[in-house]
Amino acid sequence: MSATANPAAVEDVQPAIESRKGLLRRELLRNPQAIFGLTILGIFVLIALLSPVLLSQDPKTKVGSVFEPPGSAHVLGTDGGGADMLALLVGGAPVSLIVGFAAAAVSALIGGAVGLLSGFFGGKTDVALMRLTDYVIVIPDVPLMIVVAALFGRSLTNIILIIGAIYWTTTARLIRAQVKSVRERVYVKRARALGAGNTRLIGRHILPQVAPLLIANTVLLVAYAIFAETFITFLGLGDPSLVSWGRLIENAFTDDAILNNAWWAIVTPGLCVTIVILGCTMTGQAMEDALNPRLRVGHLSVKRFRLRPLAGRLDSE
Amino acid sequence: MSLLQVEDLHVWFQLGSGRELHAVQGVSFALDKGERFGLVGESGCGKTTSILAVMGLLPPNASVAGRVLLDGEDLLAKGESTVSPHRWVDVAMVFQGAMNAFNPVQRIGDQIAEPMELYGVAEGQNARRRVAELLERVGIPADRASRYPHEFSGGMRQRAAIAMALACNPKVLLADEPTTALDVMVQAQILELLVALANDFGLALVLVTHDLPIVAQVCARAAVMYAGEIIETGPMDALYHDPCHPYTRLLFAATPDLYGSGDVISIPGAPPRLDRAIVGCPFRPRCDSAFGPCDSIRPQLVRVGQDQAAACHLNTVMREATV
Amino acid sequence: MTGFDYVGKRVLFAALTVFVAITLNFVLFRTLSGDALSALRCRQCTAQFKEYQRHELGLDKSKWVQYRMYLADLSHGNLGKSLRSEQSVTNELWPSIKNTIPMVALGTFFSIVLGIIVGVITAWRRGTFVDRAGLYSGLGFYSMPPQWLGLLMVLFVAGALGLPTSGIKDPTLGILGDASTWDVLVDRLRHMVLPALTLGLVLYGEYALIVRSSMLETLGEDYVLTARAKGLSNWAIVWRHGLRNALLPIVTLVALSLGYVIAGTITIEYVFSYPGVGLAVVEAIDQRDYPILQGAFLLLTLSVIVFNLVADLLYFKLDPRVQT
Repeated sequence: MSATANPAAVEDVQPAIESRKGLLRRELLRNPQAIFGLTILGIFVLIALLSPVLLSQDPKTKVGSVFEPPGSAHVLGTDGGGADMLALLVGGAPVSLIVGFAAAAVSALIGGAVGLLSGFFGGKTDVALMRLTDYVIVIPDVPLMIVVAALFGRSLTNIILIIGAIYWTTTARLIRAQVKSVRERVYVKRARALGAGNTRLIGRHILPQVAPLLIANTVLLVAYAIFAETFITFLGLGDPSLVSWGRLIENAFTDDAILNNAWWAIVTPGLCVTIVILGCTMTGQAMEDALNPRLRVGHLSVKRFRLRPLAGRLDSE
Repeated sequence: MSLLQVEDLHVWFQLGSGRELHAVQGVSFALDKGERFGLVGESGCGKTTSILAVMGLLPPNASVAGRVLLDGEDLLAKGESTVSPHRWVDVAMVFQGAMNAFNPVQRIGDQIAEPMELYGVAEGQNARRRVAELLERVGIPADRASRYPHEFSGGMRQRAAIAMALACNPKVLLADEPTTALDVMVQAQILELLVALANDFGLALVLVTHDLPIVAQVCARAAVMYAGEIIETGPMDALYHDPCHPYTRLLFAATPDLYGSGDVISIPGAPPRLDRAIVGCPFRPRCDSAFGPCDSIRPQLVRVGQDQAAACHLNTVMREATV
Repeated sequence: MTGFDYVGKRVLFAALTVFVAITLNFVLFRTLSGDALSALRCRQCTAQFKEYQRHELGLDKSKWVQYRMYLADLSHGNLGKSLRSEQSVTNELWPSIKNTIPMVALGTFFSIVLGIIVGVITAWRRGTFVDRAGLYSGLGFYSMPPQWLGLLMVLFVAGALGLPTSGIKDPTLGILGDASTWDVLVDRLRHMVLPALTLGLVLYGEYALIVRSSMLETLGEDYVLTARAKGLSNWAIVWRHGLRNALLPIVTLVALSLGYVIAGTITIEYVFSYPGVGLAVVEAIDQRDYPILQGAFLLLTLSVIVFNLVADLLYFKLDPRVQT
């Protein structure tokens, strides 16, 4: 009816969808938040990977007097057992990060599976799974973790499993919504009409579309998992043989670091945790924003439009 | 002296990293009291931006040049401060997609009364009475004033938006695509309403749309916009029967005729980018009658008849040929 | 009426969830009990006594019978007896609850108010330094483990502000002379400030972020442009059109973040030795006082359910769109 352009424009939709991963990469590299977040994570992952190399002995060995302030011998001071803080932090990095990533992976797996099945099959499966999700959401996380840790023992695997078993709900909902929308897309319907079976549909068509969002969400889950680990260890339910940052905070507390004014024993491990969580949150949010852009013009602003005086005609013509 | 006179309006948008989009490139038109004027063009041609500029509703990354004279007074003289006293009181607007022009958690009646109370046109009881009158005027039962927007159908919300625009008795009504997304029956009713309002109250109406049949139904005169500028203007009849610009001709030809011959013609190609300077005629790449000067010289809007003007080199050639 | 429909559905759902929570509670704790209980409490007990204990706690009956007993007990408000003190769990927990509620209320109130203020300002001044400062400070506090922030407070803030860092009352109050109600109140408040402040700070970040993004989305809506066209001042637009809409998600969010509030409360109370439910839980873990743990867990879960229900109903009242 109206003289609009390009009949070719309609066909562009398909390729645009398939380059979502490319879009993600592009958007991320442009976003300062994401760059900052990724850099932080990169640094800490590196430290964690290199820790066996960087540490010449068990970080818990006593190398100085108790609660020595930062100085030339010990850059970050010592803890309540006389061990070097810096060594402890480096030693704690892999533990904290492993718990974080592993638990997030478990959550992502469960949540992703639930969301996928729910969104793809719909109907009774959907209702049942969502009902289950609703119930799980309601249970307060830390009390449950406490209870399970108290009941089933304090090992690293248990912690990872507990955390993973609690935090999958938001992922499930997110993925479900995404799967539902992808399922309705033209090319999926086309594939189905051509006789593609469920596995093929999920594997080739739906999963690739959903994967980036799942990854973005998993990054955020890592933040939660590390958080949860600090809770558990702080309450004395952590694995007693392992040193993690959460453990260090707990040790400082129970060793009366406050009474000794040993701020370095408290500030440093918490700072590491905070920075890593910050990094994950920034990266994860940036990724989610890139995938679900909500580019909205704000109609409200303190600044106004400007006037330009017409000094002479604009003669580019 | 016209009621509303827009002179050489330009709007630029800052796009970040130093780039600039020249969205409106020297638009001028004038309306008198009670006149119904159409502003036509495809999406992105700058028609909405133009009327937003008239109301001073541009975002902060916009800069404006030109004059907008309302009864002789330049609304854009000092930017926000000269325009805001006239908003809604003298010049009101019905936005595109008026379905969303209403706050979902406030009652319709309250929202219509809001500008009345703001400008002291009416208060309390009086305001409520006026709201009822306005609703009746646009064909909505007055008792609906206490309902929420989601309880109205699309067509009714459109009418309510019109009622809201009329709240302070403006002299000029700018209607941006008032009937898009409405079904044909409702469309017709809304258009009849607009015509009646213009006739009964001397309301000057600017109807912005890409939909030609609508303009033909409502407006006596129209201007066709392309790539940010007006490329032809004149009475509707003349534009249809005797267009003086290939774009106008093609536009009308592209409108499918319900009883007419089969083929639907569309204009291939796309409008030019407005973040770069345009050399020659902006329509050149899509024009079926382009020749020599079209590549390098930008055509100016030139009078071609009693009441018609067009920006096309063909007219100069014609004129010279007939001289 | 569809209004009742909605309310009815939510209440039914809440009731169902309560039932699930109760059952879960039972399952979790019965998996443990028995041997763990007797073994830990009674190292030198004779086998006879252990039998007696088991019988008293009903552990020699079938699981199904135990379940019915459990439900019956619950309906009388009987949550069992503390292993440590032999007092009923309800009696033990009640004073803790009385301490926790005002502290959490204070902290949450603070976080909501601060969150809204920061959220609105950053949305309004989008893209400016204020925006970034607000965003990053919110993100920063949000990323801090509550116990860590609490410890920092104790280390650096308490001394500077002269605030107490543990307990809920000054032990010397009332000894040297009569303490008026006012004095007692002030004393309580002084002890509440730091824990509440800590809780508020870790919470506000998330709220600020949500308010900001909700506000930005609202401000991009067409009806805001219309309001501006109608001539409303920025302030009027933010207040009358912006906030009303932008705050709707806050209601749901506050309810959803209750889980985090609980986690935060537990660790914060531990850090500040604040005698509330959180500390009770930690002590119960320490002392293997499972009935207390079970009772507290049940109470906390029930609170979350109730809060979610309240939030649902509130949302229903605030958003006319849901009412149809």
